[in-house]
Amino acid sequence: MNLKNISIALTVLVFGVIAMLFMQKGNYVNQAKEHYDATTAKSFKGNSMVLELVNNGIEMNKQTWAIACEALQTVKNSQDMARLEAKFFPATKGSNSIANKTRRFEASSANVIVSTFAKVEEDKKTGVKSLAGLQSVDVSVLLGNVAAAAASDDSADEEGGDEE
Amino acid sequence: MKILVVVDVVILVALIIILMSLKGGYEEQAKRTANEQESAYLEKNTQVLVEQWRSVDQYSMAWKLVYSMLSGAKTEAAFTSNLAAIEGDKDARFKQISHLYTGAGINDAVQNGIFQKAGLAEGSILIKNDKNVKEVACGKGCVVKFSFAKGKMKNVDYSALVQYNLANSLKIEKPAEYRFE
Repeated sequence: MNLKNISIALTVLVFGVIAMLFMQKGNYVNQAKEHYDATTAKSFKGNSMVLELVNNGIEMNKQTWAIACEALQTVKNSQDMARLEAKFFPATKGSNSIANKTRRFEASSANVIVSTFAKVEEDKKTGVKSLAGLQSVDVSVLLGNVAAAAASDDSADEEGGDEE
Repeated sequence: MKILVVVDVVILVALIIILMSLKGGYEEQAKRTANEQESAYLEKNTQVLVEQWRSVDQYSMAWKLVYSMLSGAKTEAAFTSNLAAIEGDKDARFKQISHLYTGAGINDAVQNGIFQKAGLAEGSILIKNDKNVKEVACGKGCVVKFSFAKGKMKNVDYSALVQYNLANSLKIEKPAEYRFE
């Protein structure tokens, strides 16, 4: 009978479609998973990097601010300043500009403070000059006013011999 | 007998139609759930960066305030006017945050992307305003204490700023496994 044959063929087709359905479902899920994994992994990597870089930036920034704020309370001369710098950044030293009576400390290009002193002192025995009488600490680089600080960064710097 | 076969055929055809539509449904569902879960995850990460940005804003204002109190007039009146000036200068706030981000190696495009969503920290950083004790928020989990006596600043405790560390409080979570629901 013709209808009987058709129904048998259709039954086979139903099973075929069911099998295909599960295969396709598996495919769709895999594709979706791949897309999801790729997108989220990229986001995880990129955002983690931003988070970490900024946290590292804060590390250096806060120590530079700390030097500036502590200097305002405790520093009298460039030797004090050198000690304070060494407390936060053992590997980085500031440099005196005897001509300008300033001392520039640069933890990185983004983290710079320039302290201004009242007078130059000279060690009678060694002839080494240092700066005394802290007047102000310039934090304009830390505030993002980079141009202002670059102007005071002249070539007249002399290495101060005050590091212990 | 013939009727049974006809019914059988009809049922099978219906079954095939149902299965085909189910297939389309699976495809749509897989795409939709993947998109939903991706957006949710991306949004969560963006929120962390937004919070970090606003924290850096508070942190930066707090340092500026501490600096201005140590370098200028050490009075209660100066505190109030310094705070108002710092909070009110939104350009300077952005500049200071942006400077820190640039120094950290974050390019302008990424900074602007975060700034578009985050803006600046909302509200005042002044969280306690007693006569003799004033406290200022300096980012997530960070407080600076200024103490005054008779209108003069006696002490400023900014140790929290010196120890400031966002790494413990802000984290980008690993993405969860994709779920086909």
